[in-house]
Amino acid sequence: MFIIKNRYITIYHRLFHLDDRLLLIVAGSIAGICSGLAAVALRLSLESVLEWLHPLRHYWWAFTLPAIGALLSSLYLEKITREGAGHGVPEVIYSVSRYGGLLRFRSSYSRLISSFLTIGSGGSAGPEAPVVMSGSAIGSNIAKFLGLNDRQRITLVGCGTAGAIASIFNAPIAGLVFSIEVLLGEWKFVNIIPIAIAAVAGAQVSQAIIPEQVLFIHQPFDIMFADIPASLGLAILTALVSVLFTKSLRQVGNLAKKNSLPLWGRAIIGGSCVGLIGISMPLVLGEGYHFIQSMISETFSMGIFLTFVAIFAKIFATAMTLGWGGSGGIFAPCLLIGSLTGIVFHKTLLLFFPSVGCASQGAYALLGMTGLISGVMQAPLTGIFLIVEITGGYEAILPLILVSSISSTMSQYLEPASFYFKELMERGQFMRPGTDARILSDLSLKELIDINYVKVSENMVFRDFINILKRSEQNLFPVIEDETRVYKGVIQISVIRKYALDPDMYDMVFLNQIMDTEVITVSLEDDLQDVLDMMDSHNMDNIPVVENERFIGMIAKTKILDLYRRELIVQTDIK
Amino acid sequence: MNYKLLHIFRNTPFGRETFLQSLYFCKTINAYPVVYIPKSDKFLLYFSNDAVQVDLDHSYLNMPETAKERVEQLFEEVGLKPRYYEPKNYTASTLPDISTNFDYLCSPRSVSDLSSKIGLGHIGPKVRRIIKHATFPVLITSPVFKSWKSISVFFGGSENAMNALTLGLKTAMASGLPLNIYTLLEKKGEQDYRELIKKNNLESLVNQYSQQWYFYNKPEFETMLYEVPHDSLIVLGAYGHGVIKEILLGSKMERIQSTMTNNLLVTGPHCKISLQ
Repeated sequence: MFIIKNRYITIYHRLFHLDDRLLLIVAGSIAGICSGLAAVALRLSLESVLEWLHPLRHYWWAFTLPAIGALLSSLYLEKITREGAGHGVPEVIYSVSRYGGLLRFRSSYSRLISSFLTIGSGGSAGPEAPVVMSGSAIGSNIAKFLGLNDRQRITLVGCGTAGAIASIFNAPIAGLVFSIEVLLGEWKFVNIIPIAIAAVAGAQVSQAIIPEQVLFIHQPFDIMFADIPASLGLAILTALVSVLFTKSLRQVGNLAKKNSLPLWGRAIIGGSCVGLIGISMPLVLGEGYHFIQSMISETFSMGIFLTFVAIFAKIFATAMTLGWGGSGGIFAPCLLIGSLTGIVFHKTLLLFFPSVGCASQGAYALLGMTGLISGVMQAPLTGIFLIVEITGGYEAILPLILVSSISSTMSQYLEPASFYFKELMERGQFMRPGTDARILSDLSLKELIDINYVKVSENMVFRDFINILKRSEQNLFPVIEDETRVYKGVIQISVIRKYALDPDMYDMVFLNQIMDTEVITVSLEDDLQDVLDMMDSHNMDNIPVVENERFIGMIAKTKILDLYRRELIVQTDIK
Repeated sequence: MNYKLLHIFRNTPFGRETFLQSLYFCKTINAYPVVYIPKSDKFLLYFSNDAVQVDLDHSYLNMPETAKERVEQLFEEVGLKPRYYEPKNYTASTLPDISTNFDYLCSPRSVSDLSSKIGLGHIGPKVRRIIKHATFPVLITSPVFKSWKSISVFFGGSENAMNALTLGLKTAMASGLPLNIYTLLEKKGEQDYRELIKKNNLESLVNQYSQQWYFYNKPEFETMLYEVPHDSLIVLGAYGHGVIKEILLGSKMERIQSTMTNNLLVTGPHCKISLQ
């Protein structure tokens, strides 16, 4: 056993510890393959269940199916895996920014099952966010198993995400871009290679298992001159729809939270509403890939008015599904709403300018999809590369860039936080790498405290204090009670100068008479950002740390800045 | 001392027993308890290499309107100042992150076993993971409050056991209670263990604070457990071995845990105890 263990350690060190990148590439590919498998499993099982339930949709009671699915999904999440509903992407971003990408093992499967129940029964949501959650958790747990550090773990979380997105859309570049743009928030060489390889691995898994089932089969289309100005109009429209979609999701969700019903009760209400809408407008049910495909391939026959209504129906259905206890993501609804918007815009364009030479309806559906993804997620590159990969060419790159950049800029102007970031921003927990908040959150108060401060007794006579002062370089002296060691206040050199300059006072004054008891203190539980704010607002260079009424040490602003600088170097690789 | 113990309060008679035990522990070693009154039935502990979700049963959310009042009453009874912990960060709206910046944690008993048993029972996977990753010792209390009059350290010679011995010494120094060491002779002899203590510069402290060092031969494991006083705080290290060895041989800590009715103070492999 001992020999085997030693051999394993030697091989492991020789292989991986010589080059950190090799370890990340190998572990990243495993994460990509595993998350790819998870994505394929969810996609295939969703296809099967939707097909199996399809004949039942004609019955009058079919509206209860999404309600049953949402009910089972909420019970599963609440009672079995004990996780919250929703899509989970903010949870991944939060974990990456605050805890080095630590995610629970249960997250690698819980959202897959709950979203299968929600979407499979007809709930309006997408499977992409659950596979992102699952892929991230797989990456995180592989890192945990290998005992990797925070930075390596974050890279593997990105690998899992990229593998999942790449697998579900068969779009490795979109997987890579989504992972870095939305989740990690930093384009670093050390991240890009393992994530790119994981994305390719994920896409290959999907191709190997279901080679004949490409999600969206594209038609070649020609972009004409008129499409460029038309793209501007479509970008504005998609930005407006994006903001409407984001706001609806939030507001409907908040309305549900105000309700005193249990989660399962809310899930039934939400599911029933979706089911009822689905009777007259089946495109709101499920992830909607089939309808997206029909719009891209120009077999979508709905009239302009009904298509326009379908945009709002899908927005409402998605908000009711996700806000009221169902589980799933917003990626697929974004694609569907985006393609509907593109179709409405194209039809309107032809209505007013019947003889204009412009690209086909399918092309506008794709442009609309880019606009919605860029607007809702405020991730323009993801929008562009996803469509480029779906269409398999760069013919539409110019309108794609136009729609994507204008839509994301305009929606950011109207709604500063993307759907994924909004919740974290409201909680003050949105911390991107290299930002002040992130650097400060990575520093702990314990490493900043100077514990070698000379403490003085409250009953000390001033002459004794002067003797201590002569040997010390401190500007602040914490005063403590003799017996209990309880912190009482501080002696500030600047304040007691008048006594120090008058030797007659030396034997007349005790420290408890001249100490400052109003000086603000902090505890070890305080956030560094709050400590800095307190120091700024009270114009202090040093602040005492007091815990359980005992003086622990002092925090100096200079020390904070010194450690801030070091952490900044680590986080940004700037030397 | 300025050590703090986190206690997750359960507003039931059973929860009162464990809280009394935490209060007694703190009072004896001159630490101070910080109470978390849960508002949701789960929370997360983020350690350096793991995120452990602790799922509480619904009794933890029992009668929230009286919880604080009862906590304060119990604090008052033992003459300690009430201190509360309020989570600042949330992974999800119903999933608070609980700080791991504590010196001790009182294990919520519901995650270790059913409360119906008299003994400590079998340890659950959550407590196991907390111990494995925690940088602080975990107090696993007896189901019914009982005071302890001595400290018993199980010392097997491993690095983890050395940590446990250091913790035992630290507790003995803080409480003034006598310390006894129990060693099961496996591959080494008595002298080897004494040499080990010497090598780790603990000899003088062991001589000063320990009352007795008991040695038992391997088949006498059960005898050793029986001879530990019932009113003693047991201090031991856990999960210091690799996964394979633990699966094949089982954890000694879990054998002790499932047999004893004493209060247990457990140090895991990431817990570093300093005498300073």
